[in-house]
Amino acid sequence: MADDKRFDDALDELEQRPATEGPEKPAPEPGPAGEEPPPVAALRAEFGDAVLRHEVHAKGEHVVFVDPARVREMLGWLRDEEGQEFDFLLDLTAVDYGGGRPIQIVYQLYSHRRGGMLRVKAELPLDALEIASVTPIWSGANWLEREVYDMFGVTFRGHPDLRRILMQENYAEGHPLRKDFPLRGRFTRAEQTRRALAMEVEDYYIPSELDVVQRAHDHAAAEAREDA
Amino acid sequence: MAVGAPEWVTTRLDYVVNWARRSSLWPMPFGTACCAIEMMASAASKYDLARFGMERMSFSPRQADLFICAGRVSYKMAPVLRKIWDQMPQPKWCISMGACASSGGVFDAYSMVQGIDTIMPVDVYVPGCPPRPEGLIHGILMLHEKIKGESVTDRELHERLRAEDPEKVGRAALPDEAINELAKPFGNSTTQNKPSGMVATKALERPRDRKP
Repeated sequence: MADDKRFDDALDELEQRPATEGPEKPAPEPGPAGEEPPPVAALRAEFGDAVLRHEVHAKGEHVVFVDPARVREMLGWLRDEEGQEFDFLLDLTAVDYGGGRPIQIVYQLYSHRRGGMLRVKAELPLDALEIASVTPIWSGANWLEREVYDMFGVTFRGHPDLRRILMQENYAEGHPLRKDFPLRGRFTRAEQTRRALAMEVEDYYIPSELDVVQRAHDHAAAEAREDA
Repeated sequence: MAVGAPEWVTTRLDYVVNWARRSSLWPMPFGTACCAIEMMASAASKYDLARFGMERMSFSPRQADLFICAGRVSYKMAPVLRKIWDQMPQPKWCISMGACASSGGVFDAYSMVQGIDTIMPVDVYVPGCPPRPEGLIHGILMLHEKIKGESVTDRELHERLRAEDPEKVGRAALPDEAINELAKPFGNSTTQNKPSGMVATKALERPRDRKP
C-alpha cells in the first residue's frame, strides 16, 4: 500500500510538470490553387464546392478533403472517369486526432492504368459518425469498413454486413481506437475475462459462417456459364 | 516381483507411472506469436525435443498431455484456449512460455489476457521474450521434476495436484479479485487515471489533446 502511495505521488508529480512539447510541426502546405495536380483540379471542376481543400504532405502526397455527404459519388467518379481511373482502393482507414476534432475517414486510391496515387479524406464530426459505404464501388472495402466501424464506431450506410471484425462479437466496451477510449478498456479485468470466456466460439469461427465455400461454388458456376 | 509389501509396491508404482508419464509427454503446441518460433526451434534438430520423448507435437488436444502456450493471448482467443484445455484428457500439464503468456507482457491493453493463469491452471512459467530453446527445455525438465512428485496411489495427494473442479470448466481459473489485482500498479480498467492511459471518460482533459 505504501508503495502504491509513493507510485501515485510520483505520477502526480509527472502530471503536474509542464508538458515537454516537441518543436512545432510545420502546418501542411495548402496546395496553391494554380498547382493542383490533375485529379484534384478535375474533381474541383466536376464537383465544385464539394472539394473542401487540398493539402500537400511530404512534398508530393496530395490529400484532398471532400464533403462526406458526396464522398460515394465522388469516389465512383474517380474510379470510372476517363483520365482518372482510380481502379484500386489501396486502403480505407480512419484517424481520430482527439480533442473533439472530427474523425477523418481516409481513402487511399491507386490507378493501375496510370500509376498515380491520391488520398481522399472526409471529416465526420463526433456526433454524426455516418458515411456512405464504398463497398459497391470496390468490394475490397467490405472488411476495411468493418474494421473502421469496429475501431471507431463509424456507421457505413449501405454496407452489406456491418459488424465487428477484430473485437469479439459480444464486446460491449465501445470502439477502442477512439481517443476517448481508456487504454485498458472500460470494464474491470475480471469482467473482461468473464465476458470473453462466455463467448460460444462455434457461433463465429466456422468456415461456413464466412460463406467461403458457397461463394467459391457460385464463382465456379458463373465461370462455367461464361465459358459455355 | 515381491508384491506382498504394500509400502514398497506403492512407491514403486508411482515411480513407474511417473517415469512413463514424464518420458512421453505429448505437447499440444498453442503458438500465437514469436515464442512459437523458439518452440519450433526447440523441436527441430539442433535442440531436438525428441530426446525427452516428445517428438510428436500433437495438434489434437485429445491425444495430448502437455499444453504449451507460446505467445500472447487476446481475449478473443481466450475461449478457444480454454476449450482446448478442457478437451485434453487427464493427466495434463501446462507450460506458459514467455512473458506475454505468463503475465500479458508489454501488452497491458484492452484486448489482451493478462496471463493465461487467469483462465487455466499453469504448472511451469518460462520467462523470456521470447525464451531461447534452452529456456523452454529447462522448463520442461522442471516439469519432469514436478511430475516425479506426483502420485496415483496417494489419493489425497492426487486430488490436490490433479483433480479439476468441474465448476471451473469454461470459466476463469482465478477469482475475480485476483484477476483485478493484476491491473496494478496503474489501476484497473475502470479506475486507471495515470500516464499509460487517460482519465476514463474525460480524455479531452489531457492537455495535449486540447484544441489549439
